[in-house]
Amino acid sequence: MDIVKCTKVTKTYRQDTVVVRALSGASLSIQEGGFVAIAGPSGSGKTTLLNIIGGLDYADSGRVVVDGNVLTDMSQSALAHLRLHKVGFVFQAYNLIPVLSALENVEFVMLLQGVPPAERRERAKAILDDVGLGGMYDRRPAELSGGQQQRVAVARSIVSNPSIVLADEPTANLDSKTGASLLEIMQEMNEKKGVTFIFSTHDKMVMDYARRLIYLRDGRIVEDKIRNG
Amino acid sequence: MFFQLGWRNIWRNRRRTLVILTAVVIGVWSMIFLSSLMRGVADQFVSNGIKTLTGHIQVHHTGYREDPVVENSIKNPAGVEAVLTAVLPPEAQWAPRVRVNAVASNARHSTGITMVGIDPSREAGVSFIGEAITEGRYLKSDDPYGIVVGKALVKKFETKVGRKLVLMSQDTEGETASRAFRIVGVYRAEMQATEKQFAFVSMPAAQQMLNLSHGISEVAVLLAEHGQAMQVANTLRAELSADEYEVNTWQELLPMGSAIMKIYDWFIFIWFLVVFIAMGFGIVNTTLMAVFERVREFGLLKALGMKPWWIVKEVLIESFCLLILGMVIGNAAGFVSVLAISRTGIDLSALAAGMEYWGMSRVIYPHILGQDVMMANLVVFILGLVVSLYPAIKASRFTPVEALAHT
Amino acid sequence: MSIDLKMAWRNIWRHPRRAILTMAAIAFATVLLVFMLSWQFGSYDTMINAAVKVHTGHLQVQAAGYHEQQNMHLVVPDPVSVSRLLDDIPDVAAHTARATAFSLVSSHERTYGVAVRGIDPTKEAQVTTVGQVIRQGKYLSDDDAAQALVGGLLAKNLRVGVGDELVLLGQGRDGSIAATVVQVAGIFSYGQDELDRNVIYIPLPYFQEVYSMQGAVHEVVVLGTSLEAVPRIKRSVSAELKTIDKKNKLVVLDWMELMPGLIQSIQMDLISGFIMYLILIIVVAFSILNTFLMVIFERTREFGVFMALGTTPGRLTRLLLLESTTLTLLGTAMGIVAGSLVTWYFQVHGIVISGTSEMLQQYGLPERMYPQLSTLSIAVGAGLVLAITLAAALYPALKVRRLRPVEAMRAV
Repeated sequence: MDIVKCTKVTKTYRQDTVVVRALSGASLSIQEGGFVAIAGPSGSGKTTLLNIIGGLDYADSGRVVVDGNVLTDMSQSALAHLRLHKVGFVFQAYNLIPVLSALENVEFVMLLQGVPPAERRERAKAILDDVGLGGMYDRRPAELSGGQQQRVAVARSIVSNPSIVLADEPTANLDSKTGASLLEIMQEMNEKKGVTFIFSTHDKMVMDYARRLIYLRDGRIVEDKIRNG
Repeated sequence: MFFQLGWRNIWRNRRRTLVILTAVVIGVWSMIFLSSLMRGVADQFVSNGIKTLTGHIQVHHTGYREDPVVENSIKNPAGVEAVLTAVLPPEAQWAPRVRVNAVASNARHSTGITMVGIDPSREAGVSFIGEAITEGRYLKSDDPYGIVVGKALVKKFETKVGRKLVLMSQDTEGETASRAFRIVGVYRAEMQATEKQFAFVSMPAAQQMLNLSHGISEVAVLLAEHGQAMQVANTLRAELSADEYEVNTWQELLPMGSAIMKIYDWFIFIWFLVVFIAMGFGIVNTTLMAVFERVREFGLLKALGMKPWWIVKEVLIESFCLLILGMVIGNAAGFVSVLAISRTGIDLSALAAGMEYWGMSRVIYPHILGQDVMMANLVVFILGLVVSLYPAIKASRFTPVEALAHT
Repeated sequence: MSIDLKMAWRNIWRHPRRAILTMAAIAFATVLLVFMLSWQFGSYDTMINAAVKVHTGHLQVQAAGYHEQQNMHLVVPDPVSVSRLLDDIPDVAAHTARATAFSLVSSHERTYGVAVRGIDPTKEAQVTTVGQVIRQGKYLSDDDAAQALVGGLLAKNLRVGVGDELVLLGQGRDGSIAATVVQVAGIFSYGQDELDRNVIYIPLPYFQEVYSMQGAVHEVVVLGTSLEAVPRIKRSVSAELKTIDKKNKLVVLDWMELMPGLIQSIQMDLISGFIMYLILIIVVAFSILNTFLMVIFERTREFGVFMALGTTPGRLTRLLLLESTTLTLLGTAMGIVAGSLVTWYFQVHGIVISGTSEMLQQYGLPERMYPQLSTLSIAVGAGLVLAITLAAALYPALKVRRLRPVEAMRAV
């Protein structure tokens, strides 16, 4: 079953007087349980595509369906609801909430979902243990290394049992060893929980881990190949 | 160069500067506007007193103020008048008066009043009565039986123009003296209490009734400015024998007026301080924010060899620009709003009884005083720079290492 | 503590300096308002009580029209039954009857026109302070007849002292000439020139005899147990009065009607006070608005993340408001504590503003004034500050709703 289906998606940005065409008719489908990398040079539209799939941004035209929801027709608050329940995000700059501890960062998403406190705590601890951060529950982001922060981000993205996790250049700020161990963790989550992962990247290593590799250039898909692990 | 830099720096974050500027502008405006209103109230309190028969200076026979009876009158006014004509500044006006306590009565009512015998034309130049007649007419200089009374008294006595009013007092011999007058005019005053108290008759009528021949109770002098009183009074004292004459200024004659003015001096100053403190928190806070955003910049400048003092100066100049701008707009707003209401004043007739309770008039006219404007601006400017020293010194202490670690 | 509250708390202390300055500004305004309002409310109580105790009492029963015209023919004809009626009304602390006539008073040397008042010595002393302001001689007693209390300034003008004789000359209620000789029993001084210069007190029965009052008086003065009881008393007295005053010739006036100037001057003071407070708080609000505004500038990216995680704009607004409310409440609470302490100190020790005692005396006020800390002054003071500063906090909190996640996260 297709968890994501994009049809002829276009998007242009206007920056002052310059018009940037970020996506010009990109179409793709991603099956449930996929571990997909979207690659391409900077400015090729990777992040834009990810934002549109994640419901952070609207497409100008075309159709985007995520887990049966037609994003292109949804209001801002409906999109917020979708992001909360169906989509997890991992960002290049980690983007943890600085005033919350590791545990609280993970809990926060469940708080928004209305999960009762005791269950929240338990699930957050379990997932932090899964990403190898047992014993660091109470550290604030500033007290964690980049790799650790990104693991918290992964834990946060996945704790709400989303349909897809979108990771925008997750390894770009990490050294290769830390990056590799992060990818191992994401792979493990993908296999264990069956969550679909979609990356944008131009890191060779991420592409190596991906089971499907989509190349984007000038807002168009130029190559799409299935790799066998 | 420094000023240009400072000016540009404060506009790096437009909105933030506009917000704190608003605080400064409202603060300065309120200082100018409210102080002018308070001055207006105090001023009118004094002006009312001065217009209501006090004048700027009064000359009495020694003892009259202690014991205001006919025996203590000036027996030979010509001597005093000669001195007044000789030493008073040309724009000053003066008027002689006979003033005694009396009982006014008609068929139904009687009450205690103050009978004032006046020289109608001279009096008009000194006190309010000349232009206060609302019904009937003003007195003539030799009106033998005409009397002018206040509206409130007319109402209380259930009488009107043309009716009779009997005044009774004591003459120079201590004998009861009475005289029947006819109401020729009715006046209105700022305060009902005034209307109830004073009844005006012509000087010859009063002198005749009281058996005074040419004697008078007092001479009231009106000067061009409140401030001249002390100096002119001193000149008069030098010319008039202290055994025979007592010369007093309005400050002595209206102790309440001087007290109110003194209280308002303090009150205005405290208001300035309070408003400044309210905006001072904002000035410090905003300057701190601006400084902390530029930790890198200041660190780098230091790394380039800029002396801490220069950084202090730079931050202070930014505050300076902000303060000056706020003061210019605030002052302008203050002056404009004072100007806007200066013609009509603020009409508090709805609370007239309350105003009267404190002896104030029902319309307040703002009065801008140079010393208040100067004080307001000095407080804002000097204290504004003083509180800016804190962020300025903070900025000068950023080390290059800190600055580079800061993102 | 919930995560929301924890976040708010920690966010406040991300910039401790800024937080403290902001709270200090709010606390400053609160201290000032709590103190000033306590001062104003306290002085109103003093003013009203002073005026009531010197002049009017809380209520008066008079003939209709007497208050406006002071015409001696408008009388309460049967004060005894009015007083019997008052005895049975709850909350009435004391009452007394008075009569007033304008008369000429002469000493050997001088004559003045004054108000001669007949008072019931014992009962008058329960209602007003006249018994406490005798400076020379003694107060009147119920057995006195041709005895008088004279104001200090009047005594000076008349050149009389205790024991001297005065001639009173006026008109009786029936139009006859009222003339008598009285002896100065005491000299009083309220410190209010108006009274000290113009009033003479004689015993009421003697007054009624001299001025042919036929048992009538001009005012029956009532003192209630408290200011708050006045409307209640007024209702009962008005109702009861109908039983003895069939022709509706009597009226009940409360102190506000008797002294319209007093209540209006209080209103005036309140209004001008509130204008000043409002201006002050608005300056404070703009002073601290930047603190709230900076949140938007500094944390835009963070808000983007919140939105990416699925936080709705409404929830984001609530989070921000929780933060600014906590900050504002903290400042106000500090202000209430400090303001109450300051006020309490002066409530115990009193305040003398040097150079004002003479002036205050003229209005019947003591030179040492005491602020009166009350839940009202705290609630109004803190409430005003809270309302306006929260309004300032609302602007950024609402502004955040306009953010879109992608742009927000792109912000630096």
